[in-house]
Amino acid sequence: MKEIKVEFTLNGEKIALQSEPNRTLLDVLRQDLGLTGAKDACGGEGECGACTVIINGRPVNSCLVFIGQVEGQQVTTIEGITPQEGYHPIQKAFVEAGAVQCGYCTPGAVLATKALLDHHPRPSDQQIRAGLSGNLCRCTGYNKMLDAVHLVVKGEQND
Amino acid sequence: MQEFDYLRPRNVAELKENLSQPGARILAGGTDIIPQLRRGKSAPKILVDTSGIRSLRFIEDQGDRVVIGAMTTHQEIAESQLVSDLNPALRIAAESVGSTQTRCRGTLGGNIANASPAADTLPPLLVYEASVLIQNLSGEREVPLESLVIGPGQTALEEGEFIHSISFRPLTGRWGSHFIKVGKRKGMAISVVNAAATVVLDKKGSVSKARVALGAVGPVVIRCRETESSLCGKVPDRKVFEKAGEQAREEVRPITDIRSTEEYRLHAAGVIVARVLEAAAEQARGRMG
Repeated sequence: MKEIKVEFTLNGEKIALQSEPNRTLLDVLRQDLGLTGAKDACGGEGECGACTVIINGRPVNSCLVFIGQVEGQQVTTIEGITPQEGYHPIQKAFVEAGAVQCGYCTPGAVLATKALLDHHPRPSDQQIRAGLSGNLCRCTGYNKMLDAVHLVVKGEQND
Repeated sequence: MQEFDYLRPRNVAELKENLSQPGARILAGGTDIIPQLRRGKSAPKILVDTSGIRSLRFIEDQGDRVVIGAMTTHQEIAESQLVSDLNPALRIAAESVGSTQTRCRGTLGGNIANASPAADTLPPLLVYEASVLIQNLSGEREVPLESLVIGPGQTALEEGEFIHSISFRPLTGRWGSHFIKVGKRKGMAISVVNAAATVVLDKKGSVSKARVALGAVGPVVIRCRETESSLCGKVPDRKVFEKAGEQAREEVRPITDIRSTEEYRLHAAGVIVARVLEAAAEQARGRMG
């Protein structure tokens, strides 16, 4: 198996790396780049959304993307939207609404929310539910995430 | 994870070259093949990644046909006004595939080539009698979609061949088309049964043409031809469609598996055929001839 060279933009910065081609973006983020916000919960089936990242503005499961496929793409992870100090408005709203418990699904759910709001700044309940249907949560359930998205839209989250 | 050599062609000409090597297989969106490779269910020597080929990603109205490039994602189809206007069944089906995350990766060409009996985009394409443009290093051929998918996970694609695009003719006159899926839940579900239908009405309001396709009730997605012909000339009402649903049950061969039972699938197939036809007829009635 020949190694491949991949160049892409990660959280706004151009990077180049070498990898075996049978590794996923999730593997590389976690093992090579130390970005552990994206998580594996379903074993790489694309069922749980815990590994969600944003590629070219779209939310995708990074466990279902081989590293070669991000050549030339714009990849954003949870680390990329979290400010140096404090939190992103979506992160604050998740805390405020009680949509975070164990936290395992949270980075994925926050990024799915970001991608949703970037496309639909004022989503309907139906659009929010559809937009987050790829993110499984085993703690708080989904109504609190719905509340969190409404908080973001209304700009009511506390600073 | 299986080992393989990886190639990333930048255009169709390079793709043809890459794919002509023995043991080469296409990686499109990856939503089906990556889990397969992880489980060791597939062992290609070379994986040819088509995700960098921009020219295979388009939705075009070419006058008499709508043409969709093989690398167009389900999300792009679900958001397309053109598809919504000319094949509403396909828009609904594309929107019901997996989750937003998988729809943003999974492609129409991949959904066809993966040949799942439960593939959601197949019934809406079959009721529009879609055809598939297939290419390889030496040329191209166009085949009806119905003859391309030959069994669960099996297509008539030969080594070195790939799906370039899928096309269908829009309906004219007073027409309607719809898609219904029964899954275990609304989001992120694989179909237990799915159905698509088209209905065209004549000036008097009788059915001049109907097409019905059912998924997950046989080894491949099935066109219910006897159900279709039984509808011809009928004035559509609920009774007629319920009868069509009963007829459709005669044309399918569901099995029991992890997602459902034979009995449930048979029952649900009849119910959703009646509903999908009724919705398509309702749309047709609302359209000026």
